[in-house]
Order: sequence, then structure tokens, then C-alpha cells
Amino acid sequence: MTCSTNRSSRCRSRLQAVALASSAAVLAAPFAFAQAVQTDHVNAQLVGEHLALVPGQSMQVGLLLRHEPHWHTYWINPGDSGLPTTIEWNLPPGFKAQDIAWPVPKRFDVGGLYNFGYDDELLLPIAIDVPADAKPGTKAHLTATAKWLVCREECIPGKASLVLDLPIAAAPAKPDERWTTQFAKARLAQPQATAWKGDTQMTDDRIVITLRGVGLPPAEGLDVFAAQRKIFDNKPPQIGREGDALIVSAGKSEYFGTSPATLDLLMTAPSAAGVRGWRIRIPFADAAAPAP
Amino acid sequence: MKPNFLLLAAALTFAVPVFAKPVIGQPAPDFSVTDAAGKTQSLSDYKGKVVVLEWNNPECPFVRKHYGAGNMQKQQSAAATEGVVWLTVNSGAKGKQGHLDAAAATAYIAEVDGKEAAYLIDTDGKAGHAYDAKTTPHMYVIDKNGTLRYMGGIDSIPSTEKADIEKATQYVSQALAELSAGKPVSVPTSEPYGCSVKYGS
Repeated sequence: MTCSTNRSSRCRSRLQAVALASSAAVLAAPFAFAQAVQTDHVNAQLVGEHLALVPGQSMQVGLLLRHEPHWHTYWINPGDSGLPTTIEWNLPPGFKAQDIAWPVPKRFDVGGLYNFGYDDELLLPIAIDVPADAKPGTKAHLTATAKWLVCREECIPGKASLVLDLPIAAAPAKPDERWTTQFAKARLAQPQATAWKGDTQMTDDRIVITLRGVGLPPAEGLDVFAAQRKIFDNKPPQIGREGDALIVSAGKSEYFGTSPATLDLLMTAPSAAGVRGWRIRIPFADAAAPAP
Repeated sequence: MKPNFLLLAAALTFAVPVFAKPVIGQPAPDFSVTDAAGKTQSLSDYKGKVVVLEWNNPECPFVRKHYGAGNMQKQQSAAATEGVVWLTVNSGAKGKQGHLDAAAATAYIAEVDGKEAAYLIDTDGKAGHAYDAKTTPHMYVIDKNGTLRYMGGIDSIPSTEKADIEKATQYVSQALAELSAGKPVSVPTSEPYGCSVKYGS
């Protein structure tokens, strides 16, 4: 269940609780301090999963984007238009930020053109590698510039300079309860790695992918996205079963250039707990398929 | 084994409505669209001339980037000097962001000091769909024989920031220079970037 599709009281109360918690935190700010920045149609904030950073560990932080209703920002492959959200870090010496661990995106139909991204409340998780020699008792001042394009039908570029101050602590860090729900949701929305095998065949205008392996889901309700741009034409692919194989037939992008060595796919399926996702990496064969 | 999959794929493909897509090296689709001055503009009117098509939405931040920095007008001017016909096309449907009527289009051209040969008002999106125009801007270069030579982005850096323009490869200028020198177009396609074209539903 997501709050965008179900305006239940649970959704509302959760959002209110978060709003209360964050305003209280700004007042008190005993440990972790991070100011939310309100921009056009998006509220942006850096948050930490834990109340402190532990030397030598990889700690989760998040770029929390709260969209106004009907507005969305973009996945790493934005689709037919749009721009992916980016974050540029300025970290203390020895600290290292990993790439955004993109949650599964939604497909937006914009008058027959397709975009991939996020609406409602979104947490983009990022792992911060804390150096082993970080001194307990000191504070880490993490700053970043986040940039995005927020669109309803019209689009507005957005940007925020964000700060997250977190203490360094030797002991195992406690979770910051203000953001537990968001990190849990982001974790559920992470595509799972799979060992599914597949091959691709390309015709003039289609890319046909045959997937095999244990635990392939039924075809109903599935959607498939390419993480790389300029591969698919972004329209919903046709997905069917043939025996134990799953066949995905996607339109080929008219901007398809050279074939990548591997194809990075994301498959999604609706489930009771929200959208599930699987990460699939298969070799890309560029030999034209023989005429059937 | 394989033929079965292909048969299935063919069966799946069959269900999709097929639109003719513009193809590099093939004749560019013709169109007939009224411009801001009330004149009907057709690609076939320009046989013997190189034509540039630019999809436009005055309120799109990507369009504003290139007009705000003067990049689009500079390229339009240079094209005019070379005898290239530059047609700006607005496929925004009535009621959608960026839609302009003739009077508003004339005011817009004056405001941004546009140097295009004509501003085409494609409210029903026919020309846009014929070219499968997806974004604003989205650019096409057609040679003297009516063959499509370039389609894609205005340049190589997808962003809304003016500072990126000088770091980017300007694909349309490059294609025009290569065509003028009798060379093949070195980058005939690039992925267009921008706002989605606001077609009517």
C-alpha cells in the first residue's frame, strides 16, 4: 500500500506524525541536525538512518523528497523526458558517498509519452562509508547539493543545498526513530538481485528478452524497465509466459546506438506490501534475429 | 526452441498499433501546418533547401535554457545566413502549458528575438506525431533532397543549466556544418532531452 494510491487514515496519521517529529527535532536537535528545504512543489531533506555514524562502517543516509500531490521527480532512466535526480556531496576527509540505491520507480503516462519516477514521499538511500579513523565524540558535517526536475505536466528544475550533522560514536548506533518508516519503505522498494538467466534478440523495432530461472513471477501485472537509456522506446513492454520462460517484448528505442555488453533490467510486480522489484542483468546479443 | 519464442514475440508485437517513425536516411515526413503569420507551411515547399525543425514550448525550462542563453537564436541566425530554413514547431494542445495561438506566438518570437523562418502552430499535434517528437526541444535536420539527416537533442548535455551549453557539443550546428561541407553527419541521432511535448489526449 502506498499513500499515493490510498488516502487512508493510516497514511495521513503517519505523515502528520512525521511532520510533528521533524518540527520537534528542529527545535531540540540534540543529536542529528538536518534542515528541510522547501522548494517549488518539493520539500527536500537529508536524513540519517541512525543517530550517529560509526567509524569504519557503511551507514545509510537518505535524500528525502516530499512531492506535492500530482508532482513527480525521476528515476536514473527518466524515460521519454525529464532528468534523473542527482546529489553531489561535499564530505569531510576520508568519507565516501556511494551512488543512490534507486528504489523501484513508477511508470507515468504523460499523453502517450512515458516517464519513470516517483511521487508522494520518496527516500533515496545512499550509503556513506565512514573512515575507520573518524574520532568518536566529534561531529561529521555532511553537505550535499541535490538537483532534480519536478513535473506535473509542466516541469520546474529544483535544487537544494542540504546539511546533515551527525555525531561520530564508537558504539553501535541507534536508529533515528523519526525516519524508521521511510528507511524501511525504501528497503522494501529496493529491487532484489536475481540469478535469472536470459538472452536478447533484436529485430528492426523490438527487443525480445527470454528469461528463465527459479521463482520467475507470473506475467500478470509485470512491468519491465531498462536502467540504461536509449535501449527501449519506453512504452509498456508486452510480457508473456511460454512454458517456464518469461518473454518480454519491448519496443526498441529510435535512438538506439551501439549495443551495450549487458542489459540492466528492472522488473516490477504489484504486491500487498507495495511494488516489488527484481534486478536482472543479462548479456545483450546484438545479432539480428532471423526472420521467423 | 527459438522460432517458438519469436512467434510468440511476433504475436505480442501484432497487438501494438504501428506508427511510422522517422528514420535517418529516409524521406522525412511531410506536413502541412499553419504558421503564426497565417501561412501554410509544408516540408515539400522547401525542396532544394536544408530544413531544421525545432520543437518548442516557451515555458519549458529546457527551452528557456537555450533561449535564455541566446543559443537557439544564435543557431537560427547562423542557419538563416547559410540559407537553411529553420521552422519552430509548437505541438502543445489547447489548454496545455506552452500552447500558443498566432498572436501569442508572434509576441513570443518578438520577446525572445527569435530568428526562425516560421513558427508553426501544430495544435492538433499531427506534425509532432509524424516526427514522433517527444521533448522540447527536439531537433531534426532534413537535407536538400528531403532526407532526414539528424534527429535528437539540441546538444550533448541534458540539463536545464545555461552554463552547460558551452561545454556541450551542439549537434544541430555540427550536422549543418557537415552537410554544408558535403560530409556525412557524424552524430545522426542523440537522445532528445527536455520536457514532454504537451499533446492533447
